[in-house]
Amino acid sequence: MSSTLLPEERALDAHVRTNSSKSKRYGFFPGCVAKESCKELFNSTMLLADKLGIELVELTAASCCGASVLNDTNRDVARVLNARTYAQAEALGLDDVITICSTCTGHMRAANKELRESEERMAHANAILGKFGANYKGSVTVRHLLWLLIDDIGLDALRSMVVRPLNGLKVAPFYGCHIIRPESVNGWESARHPHSLEDVIVALGGEAVDYAGKTRCCGFHVQLEKDGIASSMVGQNMRMAKDNGAEAVITPCPLCHLALDGYQADAAARWGRTDLPIFHLPQLVAYALGVPAEKLGLNKHLIDPREVMVSRDLIN
Amino acid sequence: MAKIKLDIFRFDEATDTIPHRDEVTVDLPETTTVLDALEYAKAEVDGSISFRRSCRSAICGSCSMSIGGVTSLACKTSCGSAMEEDGSVKIDPMPNFQPMKDLVVHMDPFWDKYARLKPYLQPNDADSAHATERRVSPDDMKKLVDVANCIMCATCYSLCPVVSVDPAFAGPAAIAYAYRFIEDVRDGKRTDRLAQISEDYLWLCAHCYACSYCPKHVDPNDRIIDVKRATIKDRVMMNERGPRHALVVAKTIKQTGMLAETEVIQGTVGRFNIRGLLKVAPLGARMALKGKLPPPFLKPVPKVDEIRTIFDALEAPVR
Repeated sequence: MSSTLLPEERALDAHVRTNSSKSKRYGFFPGCVAKESCKELFNSTMLLADKLGIELVELTAASCCGASVLNDTNRDVARVLNARTYAQAEALGLDDVITICSTCTGHMRAANKELRESEERMAHANAILGKFGANYKGSVTVRHLLWLLIDDIGLDALRSMVVRPLNGLKVAPFYGCHIIRPESVNGWESARHPHSLEDVIVALGGEAVDYAGKTRCCGFHVQLEKDGIASSMVGQNMRMAKDNGAEAVITPCPLCHLALDGYQADAAARWGRTDLPIFHLPQLVAYALGVPAEKLGLNKHLIDPREVMVSRDLIN
Repeated sequence: MAKIKLDIFRFDEATDTIPHRDEVTVDLPETTTVLDALEYAKAEVDGSISFRRSCRSAICGSCSMSIGGVTSLACKTSCGSAMEEDGSVKIDPMPNFQPMKDLVVHMDPFWDKYARLKPYLQPNDADSAHATERRVSPDDMKKLVDVANCIMCATCYSLCPVVSVDPAFAGPAAIAYAYRFIEDVRDGKRTDRLAQISEDYLWLCAHCYACSYCPKHVDPNDRIIDVKRATIKDRVMMNERGPRHALVVAKTIKQTGMLAETEVIQGTVGRFNIRGLLKVAPLGARMALKGKLPPPFLKPVPKVDEIRTIFDALEAPVR
């Protein structure tokens, strides 16, 4: 994987990686949805962390990242809220912050970029943080768990840790927009042709399914704005995945999970039945690394993934 | 020099019912632009290959096409950067448009949406009321310069996933261009323009940033956010679900530190909008059966006072 970090981040990330390989301790920002309607994501992430031998220290007093919606009312609030979260991470000595949501990743990185690129914005944020004695120095790096798996654990090491390979399960990756776009904010891999999820699927013993919908939008952010809009976007993408042979989908984003898992039934009228089970990234990795399937919250999904797992002799 | 296989979508609406593909091999360096390779193929191999082009330097906006699955300007994209493992470059007409001939598409829906926003200045007073030209300060002009770089190539429109499922959506370019007039101090129709663009589904933007692939760095994604903020600031069409959603999200984050999913759904659809709530109820019921409903009330995160301090300091428009 050729890492294409922004130049100013390269030195910092190298520093973080060197340090983290010693301590394997990370700041952990679960985001709102993993604490509300997708608790199975939070739980399977913690179980996966145990298997990987890393410690995820939850930033419990952190706020919402702004979820891309807060910008619609005020340009500055999300940036300063995230500065507060980074200040907490710094105070705990946890400069390497890990997320498990594409939207959190994109918006926290955007805020961090805005702060680190402008002394004026950093001073503005710190003037407000100062009202309650906090300060952000600018040392935090925000990364998604997917990037940690590839950069810190490594695909070879991951492959060697697999105790229950996926038996060629045909898995379609679904990235979610904000982990790849805009490239000026993320830039960890090509937004047009990413392959990190494919690499992980193959490392786990599955087969990665290519389809044009993998980098497209799930419609989550506008599901309430107009009836039927999200189900159309979900149906269009899942149709492509199914037609290319997918038996299941994997996503690093709980918002995509809610949309893809929730709206396939509504999309059937226009796009035909697809019924593709949607795995959270850590669920499928944790399963392959030996976490018992019944601990992964698979029964919480609207489209039950256990049927396809039975058909591939992954569970009984 | 390298053998480049141009894998080209072929279709003529006058004679064909279904499209086919032609592979044309050209012996050119990988650094050749897709447009130069197409020009070469047309001149040397098959004169019937059709595509739009004019300036060859990313100024005219004519040569947008899908290259390797992503819409780009053919004059700004090298063959090498879009090459598959087998040395082929897949070239298709822009998605979200009806193909006319080969790589040429019917652009009418794009221009129609552009025309709807009345893309010219509409001052409130007559020119004769001014002794000099209407002046704009450098600071006011700075806001408009980036958008003025738009070459209307429709790259953003063709990549937009909302346009692909709902043709009523104005699309990124039209909203960005609306911004150009909404924020122009010489224009007198700001409120009308904000209402018009709201009606054309401004709030249907899915925040996907596909339009961040803009070849001229207009970044319609950011301008869309600017126009949304302008509608909230001027309180235009505030009863639409979009502004209600934005405001209730801000409100729950201020109250609890978290985005409270249950309250956001109720606040967006409308607590007393029984018909609207019934439409989201089936999914809610399916989630409830799986024990997946978000909690009705959230306990605020520790030190939530700090979060409220931030909101208060920045005077977020939270009701």
